[in-house]
Amino acid sequence: MSEIANNAGANSAGLAAPVRRRRGFRFGLLLNLTLLGLLLLLWLLLALSTDNFATYSNISNLARQASLFAIIAVGQTFVIITAGIDLSVGAVVGLASTVVAMLLVGGVPVWAAVAVTLLMGVGIGLFHGFAIVRLRLPPFIVTLATLTALRGIGLLMTGGQTIAGMPAAFGSFSRESFLGVPNLFWVVIAVAIPCYVVLHHSRWGRHLYAVGSNQEAARLSGVNVGRTIYFAYVVSATLAALTGILTASRIGVGVATTGDGWELQSIASSVIGGASLFGAVGSVIGPLLGAVLLTTINNGANLLNVNPFWQRIITGALIIVIVYFDQLRRRRR
Amino acid sequence: MPDTAGPAMPLLELRQVDKRFTGTYALKRIDLAFRAGEIHAVVGENGAGKSTMIKILTGAYRRSGGTILWEGREVALDTPSAARALGIDAVHQEVVLCPHLTVAANMFLGDERSGYGLLREREMTARAQAVLDDIGFPIDAAAVLADLTIGQQQLVAAARAAMRGTRFLIFDEPTAYLTRQETHQLFALIRRLHGEGVTIVYISHRLEEIFELAQRVSVLRDGSLVATRAVAETDERQLIRDMVARSIEEIHYKEEIPKGPALLEVEGLSGPGFSDVSLSVHAGEVVGLYGLVGAGRSEFVQAVFGRRRRTAGRIRFKGREVEIRRERDAIDLGIALVPESRRDQGLCLNLEVGHNLNLPIFHRLAPRGLVDGRAEAEAAQRQIDDMRIVTQSHRAEAATLSGGNQQKIVIGKWLSHGAELFIFDEPTVGVDVGTKVEIYRTFAKLLRAGAGIILISSYLPEVHDLSDELHVFHRGRVVARHRSREVDAETILKEAIGV
Repeated sequence: MSEIANNAGANSAGLAAPVRRRRGFRFGLLLNLTLLGLLLLLWLLLALSTDNFATYSNISNLARQASLFAIIAVGQTFVIITAGIDLSVGAVVGLASTVVAMLLVGGVPVWAAVAVTLLMGVGIGLFHGFAIVRLRLPPFIVTLATLTALRGIGLLMTGGQTIAGMPAAFGSFSRESFLGVPNLFWVVIAVAIPCYVVLHHSRWGRHLYAVGSNQEAARLSGVNVGRTIYFAYVVSATLAALTGILTASRIGVGVATTGDGWELQSIASSVIGGASLFGAVGSVIGPLLGAVLLTTINNGANLLNVNPFWQRIITGALIIVIVYFDQLRRRRR
Repeated sequence: MPDTAGPAMPLLELRQVDKRFTGTYALKRIDLAFRAGEIHAVVGENGAGKSTMIKILTGAYRRSGGTILWEGREVALDTPSAARALGIDAVHQEVVLCPHLTVAANMFLGDERSGYGLLREREMTARAQAVLDDIGFPIDAAAVLADLTIGQQQLVAAARAAMRGTRFLIFDEPTAYLTRQETHQLFALIRRLHGEGVTIVYISHRLEEIFELAQRVSVLRDGSLVATRAVAETDERQLIRDMVARSIEEIHYKEEIPKGPALLEVEGLSGPGFSDVSLSVHAGEVVGLYGLVGAGRSEFVQAVFGRRRRTAGRIRFKGREVEIRRERDAIDLGIALVPESRRDQGLCLNLEVGHNLNLPIFHRLAPRGLVDGRAEAEAAQRQIDDMRIVTQSHRAEAATLSGGNQQKIVIGKWLSHGAELFIFDEPTVGVDVGTKVEIYRTFAKLLRAGAGIILISSYLPEVHDLSDELHVFHRGRVVARHRSREVDAETILKEAIGV
């Protein structure tokens, strides 16, 4: 009998595929370093080739714009890790900016207006979760529908008008800096750190990855798949609502059409940052770098007087290149 | 049946054919001649090299060495179209047709009849129907393929190959999803093709089919050809010994373990797909559930596990009446389900081994939400050592492990959780013999530790040898129960089929 056991051990050892250590991790690190290198290279080139890039006002402007994209991109990544997608974030940004503006103009205190708007984001996320988990609709369809509908609600509430007349203190928050760093960037840090902890060091993070990798296996292992999906969409919609509030503060008015196309920016940031639309791959640092990279490309193109339409083409090309590399990695299996 | 002795000229011959994948041999110096007009069976355990051989014969893989002769002449045979040009075709276990198209459209796929650039749908449907009628398959050529059963789809695939004037036809586990009647229809087709002079390679796990159909049988083991024998001069025992180099008794390892208190008691459980099932599982006991596919075994255990609803009946766990509404309820009680398909249901393939092992216990590793990295690594490592999982690290991706080691992860995660009742649904499908032995030893280990096991298997020798108590399912009901090996396998098969 012991001979059998020995044979068995030898046999399975011999048949084991060559084990490669943590390729996902290494690829992620490599990608992030590459992105960082690319970013520094871009900054250097722009600093050398334009007069305006390396100025305090331009850099802080870039940081503010990148911050807005970064926050929604982090939320989007939570959803993408579950192998879902949230197309509604741009519309949520627009609606949130309108709602917070209307509340503030109506005399509601800032803290209450912000809280109500964030709660609205939670509500939208819960609805997405409900439609996906309970009604079993595909995430793409659900969030495409809310993308349209939420824009409609925003336009209906404002009659297409711009909401102006918010308290000055609300607007100054996003224009001011703390320790030389724009406040908006501090918000990113305040969002990214808890998101990082949740994603990489908490039970809920482990469950998000498991659901994105194999829903059935996760369910059979006792993971509450429904609750995990609710969680991802609530995070995404709430962060989008936060971005809406910050956007209203930044431009000083509430406009229902704010954030048009930002869903694509957020997905692009997430994917450029290494998230896989097939699920179970993604980080917090990735979308942050992705958002800064995309904003830099836009900013640089403006400074270089490149036709703005080129920016879209460059973004598209970048997505294809990055996803192609992801595909290569997958194929090597 | 035509003569078995006549050494007809080989239609296709492999000489010293090798196939290597990055250094390891999937096939090693195979010498094998398929005689014109014979039915030649190929058997072997999973991983023995059968599918690699099919892929070389159909041009899907390019061989790494050796020569292939077709009617005595050397051929390249390195692309699928080269194989098809010679008249080589295959019917695969998984149907590789288009489910949204009609039966006729599938049969003419890639070879459509058209006039003036437009499809001649009516002509194709009529022709396909004529072929189906002629070979006696009761299938409507105008039906959409997805509306047929898997078995019927398999028959369509066979009819498609037959229609195309194939001279060398490979059947790869064609009966895996077929009902008995469909199997008979397929066999009739195979015999008829045989009568028309088509050379047939028949690959199957079901040895009894080989004795029914084939004239010769070749056995592969670990990528090498062990023997080619005349079917008339061999028997099942010899083939099994050729296949695994061990006797069945050595593989189906079982210890005598005293029966403990009752863990699970089910009374009159009914639900969609099964009705009025009563059984009990004690500590230290393997309760086997045998039946044909669709007999209700899986539906029954899924109801016990909270995955399906039940309409009547009671479940008691450790003497206490329990209400199991969802998976988590069952898991919390200490019931674990090791599902049939480890790729689709058991594992998160692109996550780390440790992540998979700890999946049921993150609520324990992270009581307040945050995961303690060291405790996580230790828990994973303990299971890797315990289960002897061959992996470089608990951080390796699960996808990089071999099938057997992946299966051990699926079992191992429940050991961490501390389950007491294990439901194994087809636990040894697709694993090699060495791993099989290890899985059965794991059974013994679980039983010694006081666990109980429900074993679902379609492989009769497995349930027959390993079960202390065996329940035979037929059409959703338990039609017979037996104590350990008190009746022979043939009786059980008859009960399961319902004759």
